[in-house]
Amino acid sequence: MNLPGSSVSWAAKVLAVTRKDITAEFRTRYAINSILMFALVTLTVISMALGLMTPDSDLMAALFWVILFFAAMSGLAQVFIKEEEAGTALILKLSTEGLVIFFGKLIFNLLLLTVLSVLIVPLFIILLKVTPQNWAVFLIGLVLGDIGLAGATTIIAAIVAKATVKGALFTVLSFPILLPLLMAVIDITKVAFGGGNFGDISTGLQLLVAYDVVMVTVSVMLFDFVWRQ
Amino acid sequence: MLKLEIDKLAKWFGQRKIFEDINLTLEIGQSAAIIGPNGSGKTTLLRLIMGLSYPTRGEVIFSEDGKKLDFDGYRKRMALVSPYLSLYDALTGFENLRFFAKVDGRAVSNDEMNEVLEKVGLGGRGEDFVGAYSTGMKQRLKYAVALLKDPAIFLVDEPSANLDESGRNIVRGIIRAKKKDSLLILATNEKEEYELAGQFCQLGG
Amino acid sequence: MWWKILIFAAMSAVIIAAFMTPSPMNPAISLGDADVYRIFYFHVPQAWVAALAFVLSMIFSIKFLKTRDMQYDTKAVLAAKLGLVFAVLATVTGSIFAKMTWGEFWNWAEIREVSIFILLIIYGAYFALRSALPNAETKATLSAVLSILFAVSAVFLIFILPRLYADFSQHPSDSVVDREGQITMGATVAAIFFSSLAVFTALFAWIYNVSLRIAKAYDKNLPEN
Repeated sequence: MNLPGSSVSWAAKVLAVTRKDITAEFRTRYAINSILMFALVTLTVISMALGLMTPDSDLMAALFWVILFFAAMSGLAQVFIKEEEAGTALILKLSTEGLVIFFGKLIFNLLLLTVLSVLIVPLFIILLKVTPQNWAVFLIGLVLGDIGLAGATTIIAAIVAKATVKGALFTVLSFPILLPLLMAVIDITKVAFGGGNFGDISTGLQLLVAYDVVMVTVSVMLFDFVWRQ
Repeated sequence: MLKLEIDKLAKWFGQRKIFEDINLTLEIGQSAAIIGPNGSGKTTLLRLIMGLSYPTRGEVIFSEDGKKLDFDGYRKRMALVSPYLSLYDALTGFENLRFFAKVDGRAVSNDEMNEVLEKVGLGGRGEDFVGAYSTGMKQRLKYAVALLKDPAIFLVDEPSANLDESGRNIVRGIIRAKKKDSLLILATNEKEEYELAGQFCQLGG
Repeated sequence: MWWKILIFAAMSAVIIAAFMTPSPMNPAISLGDADVYRIFYFHVPQAWVAALAFVLSMIFSIKFLKTRDMQYDTKAVLAAKLGLVFAVLATVTGSIFAKMTWGEFWNWAEIREVSIFILLIIYGAYFALRSALPNAETKATLSAVLSILFAVSAVFLIFILPRLYADFSQHPSDSVVDREGQITMGATVAAIFFSSLAVFTALFAWIYNVSLRIAKAYDKNLPEN
């Protein structure tokens, strides 16, 4: 009858989901195109709008995250929306535990954000003529911020996938959730651009880490309710 | 022993009654057919059985040797074939088979995959993208995915949807075989299909 | 029946007292026309009720997820609807006050204005989700999950916002509670304020109960109950 126990580990199952999404993404490029183009366009608009002005580094820090936030909003919900629209969500629900799907897609979204970050940072520096004075602070803020963005919005993406008006709704629902993250991470990036050091951001960092951990944990606890609807 | 008990099951969507007082008991080796005209709630009933929807009244219980199974407990032993179920167009037949097995914790060999593809009449088509399959081929692949899971609970909604004569024969063969070693539930209007089942559940309309 | 009368009487008393007694403004530290500060008797209780309603809604959401009983969904929505009304009231009264004293209707650097605005957005998002979900079961479940997620996020905001706005606040809280946390309201002011708080809470509870009875009467027609 059925084989008792798995011959495949939990981590392998999660990565199978991530790899499937990467493979499909490679072949169709739904999400990555959207995210990259959105970020590029936003960056360009900001750059042109600023013209010859050189706003202070605090403003630049805020603008950086504005770009990332909206780019994320344009593409992170795709992981779940495409499953619902293609009709593949059903078999997925029956094939594996909800949390395998959750983490598989969270990792995928994180990879998406990483690619985005890697491409946007140099362009940002070149077009807007700002350079982080303290790269270590900047990068740690970026990494934790990306983790927070992906971590907190994965469950929201799953929620929105079942709704009728998906696109705008994802942004509307994510905003109150991401607000603490944005505030904390913009603060840290301001310090990075302004040339501060780790001492200046220790509370901000603690908050950021706490946020990342708590949001993912709460999402894990609530995910099955959403997924099994 | 795996058992399914459906007790006084009723489902309403707001003011609209879909059905009520559904009772059914099934064990391995037994089969049931859910019959009714279109819109009578066959698919809804299947969703309730699968645990993807909640009863308004009554219960659906999967148990093993007297112990109740939770969702992940029976999900692992269950497979569904349905017109509402889709596979990944952007992946090949093999990739689909391999993915659904792997994500369920099973590593499958190429031989196993080829064998199951042959069984559903898709031999040699494993390397093609599912997006290029005809609807009949997609339906067959759904059976392939299900068979590869070797489920103890086999649910089929509209068994012969989109299938030609040879496809129907294959499906009938599959159902006859699965009747003996699993808990089989069919939702259908076709006489040749529901005749195969041991019990009936008639939904009004 | 007598609740209605009691609340009406109490509210009238509060309104009269609010305008007949000396203004709660502390002239040593606050600006503007003293009378404007009377809005404090109404604005703060409204904000309080708006926040209370949110917490209530979240508690019902948790109960719904645990029991799958639709009555909790009805209660959660009801609390949220009322909460939204009070949040709007609080935002509007706050904005009026801001205009009359500081000269602008809105100021993003003012932590409390930001907070009530976020609460407004949370309510808005909650209802936006609900209206985008046609299936009652899905609507109830997903909005319950959202409610809880928002509550967690709100907790973080409560920690983060003060850090960022530490010295900016122009909110005249010094008339109420000074820097050491001691209540500096005069006895009359305190009496009126806390009465107003109680009356507004009672008002909320009363409207909530009446609406719940209406909803239940409607639901009785449904075979689920």
